[in-house]
Amino acid sequence: MNHPFDRARRTFLGRGFAGLGAFALASLTGRARADKWDGVVSPLHHPGKAKRVIFLYQAGGPSHLEVLDPKPKLAEMHGKSMPESFTAGQQIAQLQGKALVCYGPQLEFQRFGTSGQQICSLFPRIGSVADDLCIVRSMHTEQINHDPAHTVMNTGSIITGRPSMGSWILYGLGAEAQDLPGYVVLMSSGRGGQMQPIAARQWSAGFLPGRFQGVKLNSIGDPVLYIRNPPGVSTAMQQKSIEAINALNRRQHEALLDPEALTRISQYEMAFRMQASVPDLVDLSKEPKHVFERYGAQPGDGSFASNCLLARRLAERGVRFIQLYHRDWDHHGAVKSNVTLKAQEVDQPTAALIRDLKDRGMLDETLVVWGGEFGRTPMSQGGDGRDHHMRGFSYILAGGGVKGGISYGATDELGYAAVEDPVGVSDFHATMLHLLGIDHKRLTVKFQGLDARLTGISGNVVRGILA
Amino acid sequence: MRLSVIAVTLAIVQAGHAEIRFNRDIRPIMAATCYQCHGPDASTRMAGLRLDLREEALRRTQSGVTPIVPGDPAMSAVMDRVFSTNAARVMPPKHVHKDLTQAQKDALRQWIAEGAKYESHWAYEPVRRPAVPDGSGNPIDGFIAARLQREGIVPAPEANRRTLIRRVSLDLTGIPPTPAEIREFENDRSPAAYENLVDRLLSSRRYAEKQALYWLDAIRYADTCGFHGDNPFPAWPYRDYVLNSFLSNKPFDQFTREQIAGDLLPGGAVEARVASAYNRMNRTSAEGGLQPKEYLAKYAADRVRTTTQVWLGSTLGCAECHDHKFDPFTARDFYSFKAFFADIKETGLVPDRGAAAWGSQLALPSPEQKLRLGELDRRLEAARAAVPASPAPEWEKSVLDSYTAGELQWHYQKPVAAEGSRGSKLEIFNDRPVHAMFQEGASIVSEQKNGDGLVIASGPVPDSETYTITLRPGAGRWTALAVEAVQDESLAGVRAARGSDRLVISEVEAEVNGVRVPFDLATSNLTNATKEHPAMATIDGDPATGWGMTSYGHSGNMALALRFAKPVETTEPSSITVQIRHDTPYRRALVGRLRLALSRAVHAWPHPKGLPDALVAALRKAPAERTTEQKDQITSYFRWTQPGAATIEKLEAERGMIEFAIPRVVVTESVTPEPVRILPRGNWMDGNGAVVDPAIPAFLGRVDTGRRLTRLDLAAWLVSRNNPLTARVWVNRTWRQLFGTGLSRVLDDVGSQGEHPVHAELLDWLAAEFMEKWDMRHIVRTIVLSKTYRQSSDPRPDVDARDPGNRLLSRQSKLRVEAELVRDIVLWTSGLLTEKFGGPSIRPHQPEGFLAALNFPKRDYSASRGEDLYRRGLYVQWQRTFLHPEMAAFDAPTREECSVNRATSNTPVQALVLLNDPTYVEAARVFAQNMWKDGGKALNARIGWAFQRAVGRSPDAVEQRVLTGLYQESLRQFKQSPTSAKALLGVGDAPAVERANAAEMAALTSVARAILNTHEVITRN
Repeated sequence: MNHPFDRARRTFLGRGFAGLGAFALASLTGRARADKWDGVVSPLHHPGKAKRVIFLYQAGGPSHLEVLDPKPKLAEMHGKSMPESFTAGQQIAQLQGKALVCYGPQLEFQRFGTSGQQICSLFPRIGSVADDLCIVRSMHTEQINHDPAHTVMNTGSIITGRPSMGSWILYGLGAEAQDLPGYVVLMSSGRGGQMQPIAARQWSAGFLPGRFQGVKLNSIGDPVLYIRNPPGVSTAMQQKSIEAINALNRRQHEALLDPEALTRISQYEMAFRMQASVPDLVDLSKEPKHVFERYGAQPGDGSFASNCLLARRLAERGVRFIQLYHRDWDHHGAVKSNVTLKAQEVDQPTAALIRDLKDRGMLDETLVVWGGEFGRTPMSQGGDGRDHHMRGFSYILAGGGVKGGISYGATDELGYAAVEDPVGVSDFHATMLHLLGIDHKRLTVKFQGLDARLTGISGNVVRGILA
Repeated sequence: MRLSVIAVTLAIVQAGHAEIRFNRDIRPIMAATCYQCHGPDASTRMAGLRLDLREEALRRTQSGVTPIVPGDPAMSAVMDRVFSTNAARVMPPKHVHKDLTQAQKDALRQWIAEGAKYESHWAYEPVRRPAVPDGSGNPIDGFIAARLQREGIVPAPEANRRTLIRRVSLDLTGIPPTPAEIREFENDRSPAAYENLVDRLLSSRRYAEKQALYWLDAIRYADTCGFHGDNPFPAWPYRDYVLNSFLSNKPFDQFTREQIAGDLLPGGAVEARVASAYNRMNRTSAEGGLQPKEYLAKYAADRVRTTTQVWLGSTLGCAECHDHKFDPFTARDFYSFKAFFADIKETGLVPDRGAAAWGSQLALPSPEQKLRLGELDRRLEAARAAVPASPAPEWEKSVLDSYTAGELQWHYQKPVAAEGSRGSKLEIFNDRPVHAMFQEGASIVSEQKNGDGLVIASGPVPDSETYTITLRPGAGRWTALAVEAVQDESLAGVRAARGSDRLVISEVEAEVNGVRVPFDLATSNLTNATKEHPAMATIDGDPATGWGMTSYGHSGNMALALRFAKPVETTEPSSITVQIRHDTPYRRALVGRLRLALSRAVHAWPHPKGLPDALVAALRKAPAERTTEQKDQITSYFRWTQPGAATIEKLEAERGMIEFAIPRVVVTESVTPEPVRILPRGNWMDGNGAVVDPAIPAFLGRVDTGRRLTRLDLAAWLVSRNNPLTARVWVNRTWRQLFGTGLSRVLDDVGSQGEHPVHAELLDWLAAEFMEKWDMRHIVRTIVLSKTYRQSSDPRPDVDARDPGNRLLSRQSKLRVEAELVRDIVLWTSGLLTEKFGGPSIRPHQPEGFLAALNFPKRDYSASRGEDLYRRGLYVQWQRTFLHPEMAAFDAPTREECSVNRATSNTPVQALVLLNDPTYVEAARVFAQNMWKDGGKALNARIGWAFQRAVGRSPDAVEQRVLTGLYQESLRQFKQSPTSAKALLGVGDAPAVERANAAEMAALTSVARAILNTHEVITRN
C-alpha cells in the first residue's frame, strides 16, 4: 500500500506547484491545507442530504425479536421444535449440537405514532419518535461471532487491516471540526454485565493513514489519550513550550527545507487546540438541567445517556462520524430481564438525541443509526436466552435523508431469515455513503493491487428508504 | 487518482525511452482499466474477450471483429472503442469511472502500431543478472548513474559526515551516534572510515534489533492472540529467534526453511522448532460458540495470505473466493497453497487458559532451571514419602463429624480498623448495607446487602500497598486466618483487583497484641490457580512472589487460608492485626474488596463451610464407590492436613514458580494432513469442492517429488532459483527501508497492479546478488556503501520538479523514523535507555482504562518496573486489539494481519504523545538532569550539550535564543509555583538529582522537553 496522502501532500505543500506530481494527487482532489483535510470526494458525487453520522452501536447483538421485529407466529410455536426447513445447513454458534426449540417473543409490542410502527412496549420514548424512524427489519450479515461480526459491520471485511466506515467517510469528506478529531468513538457499559470485548480495530483507519482513525473519547482517565498537560505544566507553559518547539521546527525547515517539519508545526498547533477544545467538549456543566433530564444523564457517569448528549455536542462542533458503543446486548441467558435492563439504559437517551437534533434543525442533515453486529436466534438457548444470529436482524435509521415512519423489509414468520428486501452490511454501507453524497463504488483506495472500497465487491443502495 | 499516477510514471520513463514497452507502459493501463472484465477471471469476463493474453487478443471475436491487429491500429477494434466518442460504445464504459487519458490512449495506439508486443510480467520472469553499466565502482551506483546521465542529472553530493553517520546509524541500528562517535567519524579521514563504521554497526546487536522490526511486521509477530479476549500467548522466544538470526546473519534460505518447516527439518534442532512458531502467529479465537471449521479456514487463509505476501509479494488472498482479477492466480492455487499447511496440528477454538491453552508448545528451560527442578523433585519425593499416602477410616470419620458439627466453619470477622499505607482508603462495612455486583453463573447479580465485615478499598491506586486491618475476635483459640478476596464488577483487574490484569498479594503477616505470629502453611480455593502465584508465596518472606489470580474462570470469591504455626490464643480485649502486602513487580494488583475470617479447626479448608462441597460428597461415599477423582480429592486434602504438609507445599510452590518461569513458545506440530478442498466462493460450509494436493501456483511452475509435497518442499521452492519472486520482493523491501520508497513503489503487490520498477535492472541485479548466498547483511552493506545511499537528502528544486517522488534517486530522502525508534531515540537521548537483548516483552506506562473495552478477563494493566520500563520499542508488549498508544500513534501496525509497508503519517496525536505521555515527560526530566550534571554550568552550554546529544550538532543563535527564552519563562513560573515544579519532577520512576534546585531543574526539563519534541530528533536526514 502506498500512502500518497501524507508524505506526498507535504511534498506538494512544501514546494508549491513544483512538487505537483504522482505524490501530490490527493491534495489536488482534497484541496488540503496543512492542518485540515477536506476530503477526496470533492465535489460530492451527488448532492448528499446527510452531513454526518451518529451511529448508536448496540454491541453484543440485540434481540430483534424482543425489540423491533414482532413475531406472533413464533409465540405460537413457543416450545416446539424449530422446523428444520429454516435451520438445515445453517451456521449456528453456541447452540451447535443442541436441540433447536422455538422461543416465543418475551416482550409485548405496541404500535406507535401515526405511522403505527411496531416497537417493543418497553421502548415508549423511541416509540414517541416512531414517525421519524425507518425500521429496517431485513438486515443480515456474514459472521456469527462478535469480533469478526463487528469487523464486518465496521469495515465491510473479515480480513483485518481495512479502514472502518468512519475512516472512509472522513477520508472521503474531511470534517468541519478544526479543533477536534473528525471521527470520534465513545463507549458505555451496561448494567447486565454481558460485556463482550471490542477491539480498537473497529475504529482503525486500516491501510489509510493514521489521521483518519477514530479517536476514542474516554470516560475513565483522560478523555482523549494524553490530552492533559503533564503534572506541573500549566496551560500557559504548555503554550510557551509548543511555541518554542514550533520555532525550532521552523528553523529546521529553513535550514533543510523539510516540508514535514512544517506539517509537524501545524500538528502541534492542532494538538494544542484539541487540548483546549476537548475539555470544553466534555464539560457538560453548561448544559441546562432540563437537557440532562431529557437524556436521563448524570454528569460524569459515562453512561449511554451521557454519551448521547456528548454525541449531540460533537455533531454541533462539526465532527463527521460519531460512534457510540453500548456494550451489553449479548443475551445468551435471561433475554427478557436483560432487554428490560437495556431498555432502561437506551430508550430515553436514543429518543432524546433524535428529538434534540430535530429541535435544533440538525436531524435532516444527521443520519442516526441504531443497531448491532447481528441479531439473535428465534430458538431458545438455555431455556431463557437466545444465541447469536446473522441471517436476520433489525436496524433503526433516522434523519439524514431517510424516510421517517416506515418499516422496510421483513424476516420470515419466525424471525429467522431476512426474506423481503434483504439488506446486507454492504447495502447498508452503500446507502450510508449515498446519503452523504458518496458513490460507494467510486470511493476507492489502491491496496494490495486492488481498488479497495468499504463495500468490497458488493453493495446496493437501498432506494426504498431514501426520502 | 491512479490514472494520473500512471501518467506521471509515463512522463518520467518516456523521457528516456521513445519506444513503448508493454510491461512498463501498457500493462499498467490494461490492468487498471481492462482486466476487470477482460482478464484472467473467467467468471466476470465480458464478451468472451481476454486482453491479458496476446493470442486471445489477436483472435477474431464472435461478433466478427479483431480486438488487436498488430501494426494496424485502424483495424484494431480496441482502438475503435477506446477512441469512441459514443458514450454507449466507449471503453472502458462510462459507468466504471475509469476513463483513459489522452496520453494513455496514445500509448495504446503507439504500442499497437509498433506491433503489440506483449511481454510476460517483469516480476514473473526468471531473475537474470544484468550487466553493470559501469563496472568499476559499487554496481548500484553504476545503474543509478547511467540512468541519471541519460536524464542529464548529476547526482547530489555526499551528505556531510555528521548527517551521514546519523543516517547510517539510525538506518542500521535505530540508535543515534554519540557526540564522541560523530567527532571521531568527522576527524577520521581515512578512506576506510565509512566502511569501518558500517561494519561496526552491522555487527551490533542493535542492528539485529532494528532489522527485526520489519520482519516482525511481515510475519505478524505479536504477544496476544488477537481475537475476542486477546489474551497473551507464549510468543517471545520466536521474536528472539528472529533477533538471533539477524545477529548471526543467518542466510535467508535457511531462515525461510526454519520458519516454514523448522519442525520437519532433520535433526530436530530446538532453534528450528522455535522458528516454526511462524505458522502459529495467526490470530486465534477462544470465543465460545465459534464454529471450529470456520476458524480453521480463517487460520489457514491467514497463513496463505501471509506467506504469499511475505515471500512472493503477491496478493493471493482474493483467490480464496475467486480467481485473481489481474494476476494469473486461481482459486485452485489458493487452496493448493493452503494444503501445504494442512499437517499443522490445531483446533478451531484455541483455548486461552487452562492446561490445553494455545495448543502445541515447546518449553525452553535453562540449564539452571533444569538443575533446580531435578533437585526439587528429589526433595519432594522424600517429603512425600514422610507423609502417609492415604488416610485411615477413623480420620475420614472425624473430619466428616467435625464438618457436620459445624466445627470447620470459618468465623467471619468484623474489623475495627483498616488503613492503607500508601493512600488507599479502606472502609469497613460491618453492619451497614453495601452495593455489590458480581458474576454468578452466567448472570450478573446486583444487590444491596449487609456488609458483614466487608472492607472496600477506594481512592488512589498506588503501585504497591499494604493494608493493615485490626480484628477483635474475642476470646478463642485460633488455628488459621482466611483472606477472602470478594469479586465485584466494579473492580478493573480480573474482577478482584483495583488495577492490573491480576490480583497478587505478596505477603500476609499477623500480630496478636503486637506480637508477630507466624504462619506455616497457606492454601487457596482457586479453581484456576496459576503456578506463578501459589498460596505459599504469601508466607515465604519474598516480596517479589505472591498469591493471586490472573485469568477468568473462577466464579465466586477467592479465599486464601493461612495456618498459624502454633494455635493463637486470644482473650476478650485481644486484637489481631493483619497486614496484607502488595509488593510484587505487578503494579496496582491490589485487593479491592475483602473479608477476614478465623478458624478454630485443624482441618479448615478455604471455603465458608470449611470443606468444598465436592470433598464432602466424596467423603460421604463408601470407599468402594468413589471415583478416582474423588479418591484424589480425599488424598490431597488428607495430605494437606498432615504435619509434613508445609514442607511439601513449600517445595511444590517453588517448583511451580520455576516451571512457570520456563520460557515457552507455540510451535508447529506436524500430524497427518487434513484433506483440503476448494471452498466455492470461500464458503467454508460448502464441502463440494475438489480435494487438492499441495502445489505452488500453477503458472509459476511445478514442484515434482513423486510424493505429496510438504512445507519443506514449499520452503525449498520459495528460496530456489526457479522462483523469480522471493529475492526481488526481499531486496525491494530492503531498498524501501534505506531510501523510503522501493525500487518498485508498491511493496505489497509485484503483480500487474503493482508498479514496474523505475530501476528494473538494478532490482534484478540486487535480486541475483541476493540469490547467490542469500546473505541479507551483504545486500544491506552493499546498499549503504553505495554513493547513491550516501547522497545528501536536501531538496533539489530543479530536479524535484521533474521527479517529484525522487524515483530516479538523484538524492537521498528525509524520513521520519519508525514508531519503535521514536521511543528508542528519545530514551537513548535522555540517558534512560536500557539495552538488553531479547527476553519477555515489556510494558511501558499506558493510560488508565485503555483496556477497558476488553473482557475475558476484564482487566487493567501493570506497567513494568525497573529497567524494563526503559527498553527498546521492539520489546513493547504487542497487544493486537489495543496496541500500545505510543506505538499506534506513530503508525506501527497492529500485526493482526501481515504488513509489509508502514504508513508515515504526521498527526496531532503524535504531538500529544511526545508532549504528554509520562514516558516522554520522564525522559525530558532525566535528560534535563543529565544536562545539569554533564552539560556544564552555564545555560547556553547545557543547551549546546543537549543539542549535540539529541541531534548531533550545535544549536545556532536562533535556537539558543528560543530555548533560553523558554527557560527564563519556565523558571519564572516554577519559582512562583514550587508545587508545580515538584509535580513535574515527580513524573516517572527514575531517581531525581537531590541537590538541584527544583525550579531550575523543572525549567531545564521544559527545555529538554522542547528539544525532544523537535521534528529533527525523530527524523533521519
